[in-house]
Amino acid sequence: MALELNRLTHEVTALGLNLAERLTQLAERLPGAQGSLRAIGVVDDALQRKVAAALPFRWAGAIPTAEAVDAAFPAPPAPARYNAIAADGSQIYPDRHGVALYYLINIGSIVFRSGLAQAPSQASRPQVFYEDADLYEEDGGQKPAVLIDAERDWRELAELARLAQAEAQAAPSVAVLDNGLLLYLSLQIDDQALIRELFSRYLDQLDLLRASGAAVAGVVDRPRAASVVRLLHLNGLAQSEIREDALRDLGPNYAGLTDSLIFGFLRPGERSALFVNASPNNDIYYRPRDHTIYFFYLNAGRPGKDALLRVEVPEWVAVDPARLNLVHAALVAQSRVSDGFPYILVRAHELAVVSVAERRAFDEMIMGALIRQRLSPAISRKAQGKAWTGGGRRRFGG
Amino acid sequence: MLVDTAVTIGRLLRSATTGYVFGCSVPEPDVPRFGDFVKAPAQRGRTNVIGLIYNIVIEDDAFVRQMVATPDLDEAYILDQRLNRQVPIEVSVLSIGYYDGLGNGSSAGTIACGLPPQPPVTLDSIRPCTQREVIECTGSFEYLRLVLNAPDAPADELIAVSLRSAAAMRPPEDRLFFLRGAGRELARLLSRDLPRLENLLRRIKP
Repeated sequence: MALELNRLTHEVTALGLNLAERLTQLAERLPGAQGSLRAIGVVDDALQRKVAAALPFRWAGAIPTAEAVDAAFPAPPAPARYNAIAADGSQIYPDRHGVALYYLINIGSIVFRSGLAQAPSQASRPQVFYEDADLYEEDGGQKPAVLIDAERDWRELAELARLAQAEAQAAPSVAVLDNGLLLYLSLQIDDQALIRELFSRYLDQLDLLRASGAAVAGVVDRPRAASVVRLLHLNGLAQSEIREDALRDLGPNYAGLTDSLIFGFLRPGERSALFVNASPNNDIYYRPRDHTIYFFYLNAGRPGKDALLRVEVPEWVAVDPARLNLVHAALVAQSRVSDGFPYILVRAHELAVVSVAERRAFDEMIMGALIRQRLSPAISRKAQGKAWTGGGRRRFGG
Repeated sequence: MLVDTAVTIGRLLRSATTGYVFGCSVPEPDVPRFGDFVKAPAQRGRTNVIGLIYNIVIEDDAFVRQMVATPDLDEAYILDQRLNRQVPIEVSVLSIGYYDGLGNGSSAGTIACGLPPQPPVTLDSIRPCTQREVIECTGSFEYLRLVLNAPDAPADELIAVSLRSAAAMRPPEDRLFFLRGAGRELARLLSRDLPRLENLLRRIKP
């Protein structure tokens, strides 16, 4: 064993103490923050003006909608018959120490036809990329992981769109991703033309989903966002105090708090009010295509075991009560059987994930293909060394 | 090479000379059942290992365990777990005989009672035995000794069920004769355990 656990005893104890202290501090701040949320209620013109003043500073807050910010909406009844569709993806990144340079994306999907006594249909669609154009950028550098992630994200949404087009005519349908719908590509890629192209391809799939008649939602488990916390902080600033530094420093009342703590008052099945994500990407790329991303929080748990999810939906779902209620009802119904996280997402992940054993088997397939071409495949010496030592050290005489 | 048209009811997971375990998905109402006679190819198809099903285990996993407490479970969730997810049903088989010599599963070759020279191999197809195979395999009652000595199988139950099933495969006029013969063999094997013998004889009495 390389990790000497006995050397970490003190640090682990300190970590536990630190976490307990932080939670105590946050618990002290929480009632005040929740009180601020209740005090806002339905947003007035003054707060709207503050939001408008904050946006030019790339403020990462939550833009309120017509719903009272402290509202809690109980789950509507799920239709007797509806389709719940999910897709999830996993990948093997290129490994320059492996037997060959390639990457792989595997998309798992499931169509759950609630109200029909039939097994869901499921699929697992792997694709391997090995051409130079797949692996290298124009400057000759190896394609970075963020672009492979973007390709996976696009394929997940494209799979949802394909399935929604096939299923949505038969019954009300909701298509669900295990991820937010708002991509954060611009934080990791410098090439503006490439960013535009990636967003455009992604939004094309949202166009198809809208045209299919289905609703779509991106689900984030255990959300760490503090968008609504930033709104509360903004509300406490005077109009004249709205500056970049003042917006960034959440101060002693809100620092460390998250939206999921604020919305801890939601009872099982309830959703929060809708908010608009204030991300610049939302405004630059999504809004012109009428896909502005809204979000709400949902307690998908059960009495005694809360499970808060952040749910992102495009504008055409947010403003359509039938589609919004379907998203709400279906996520609650689906989470009831899988302990607070939608069943279809658990299954889509199961269908997508590439296990260590599967990866090893795939590498052996590649090795066989190379040998049949009279090549002599070999992993790098570094990878060989890791293979020799990765099983853990054995000690003798101790 | 054995050619057998009987339906495959599962595929082999692991094996030993004394028995094997095969996996299958959702059980059909009639197969596999406790006490059924099944066979698996061995020695690259030159022979079949005949055995008795003595245990059927339906495996679970953390996902299934989590779901069992959910009230009013939609049928689609149940069907998804049963039909789509790869959680096999494990069926344990006690080896009791094998084809001796080059035969084919339907007519040629003789069935020898006892443990096979080689166990079947992973992913081999498991099929139910034909009526002829059951009759031939149980004709000498030698398999009863193997069952009685099996450490893991519920021997008495397995003997009672398999004898009744083997009797039912014979012509009506032969059934009583067959069961009397089985009773005599059991009396010989269990001569020092009369309570057990009495219980078994009561179970197989027509």
